[in-house]
Amino acid sequence: MDLTPEPNKDDEAVGDLSFDPKGVLDAGDGAVLTRLAHLVEAADPVPDDLVERSLFAITLAGLEAEMMEAVYLDAPLAGVRGAAAAARADDTAPAEAKTITFTHDSLTVMISLSPAAGGKVRIDGWAAPAAGLSVELHRPGVDVVTTASDEDGRFAFEAVERGRASLVVRRIDGGGGAVSTPVIEL
Amino acid sequence: MTGSREALPDVDGSGLTLGDRAAIALTEYRNGNHQALGELVREATPLLWHTVRAQGVEQDTAEDVVQSTWVALVRHADTIAEPKAVLKWLLVTAKRAAWEAVRKHRDDEKRRTELPDDSPEHPTSLPAKDPLPDAQVLRDERDRILWTSLQKLPGRCQELLRLVSLADRPDYRYISAAIGMPMGSIGSTRGRCLAKLRTILDEQGDFSWT
Repeated sequence: MDLTPEPNKDDEAVGDLSFDPKGVLDAGDGAVLTRLAHLVEAADPVPDDLVERSLFAITLAGLEAEMMEAVYLDAPLAGVRGAAAAARADDTAPAEAKTITFTHDSLTVMISLSPAAGGKVRIDGWAAPAAGLSVELHRPGVDVVTTASDEDGRFAFEAVERGRASLVVRRIDGGGGAVSTPVIEL
Repeated sequence: MTGSREALPDVDGSGLTLGDRAAIALTEYRNGNHQALGELVREATPLLWHTVRAQGVEQDTAEDVVQSTWVALVRHADTIAEPKAVLKWLLVTAKRAAWEAVRKHRDDEKRRTELPDDSPEHPTSLPAKDPLPDAQVLRDERDRILWTSLQKLPGRCQELLRLVSLADRPDYRYISAAIGMPMGSIGSTRGRCLAKLRTILDEQGDFSWT
């Protein structure tokens, strides 16, 4: 995904023309907008841990890994995060396995999250095409754990503490760049 | 969550807006001090979230778009020519990524519509555009009136007002520019949207909004 905005030579002009600081807002306008802000937040609240995940993603930005895109299917099970959030809400761990698929160019990585002993999470992954891949598990404040995919592109992390995490995938032969998943909540 | 309360309408006593703090955060980050950026992430994530959601992006995907917008900022930290424009940069970046996500989602939907048991309209898979605040929030009659009045405005006005409500007043220009309101008429467009809303509100009765 190209995230680079086009340079806009009119920036300053827009700034000057678009807003008159002595403009039309009165106290009533201000009050209406303040009230509206509360409604906007209430209608569609920012997900609880989005800030924390973004902060962790920033710390991983130095790895120079291209971010993969997660593919969410419109299945009746509204997606792994929705389910995880719902589970958090009533403070019970999700019992069944969740699957998320990530893509970047030709590489697809599918991971399945399932409960492991001690409230931990087991990550089973499968990458295609099945080149020899090194898979790093990054978590805040914890050393990176690295594993390698087998000849079928399978890999696993058997017991991972719950919390924020991102996988970084590299080809063992050093070809191509590294890619990372968005920071997810295990 | 953002500085909306203290920013409106005319209390810019602190002098610094979100846009200013964004500029400072980027400059500090370039100098190796990451703390201000962390604060900016906390402060501006709601604005990015609602910008992305306004494009019709579903929850899960919107979370990733916001995340990658912040990552993009860090990656481009040294190449953003105008630290002053970093808030607008963030908004534009988030919005473009949101469009891209919506486009992909539609393509995927199209492919899936080939399945015979899918309805042609595919109503269940459309992104929820206008989530409602829950009943608890709308207990206040003025909130109910405000919310229903907002729905009567054209879509772009709704989007604009929702987003500027989350921002500091002098930053409206960045939001307007990021939303792509016509150049030169942006201030008046916002004025028109707000004026329309006030007119509709006035028709609902004689409430004090202050």
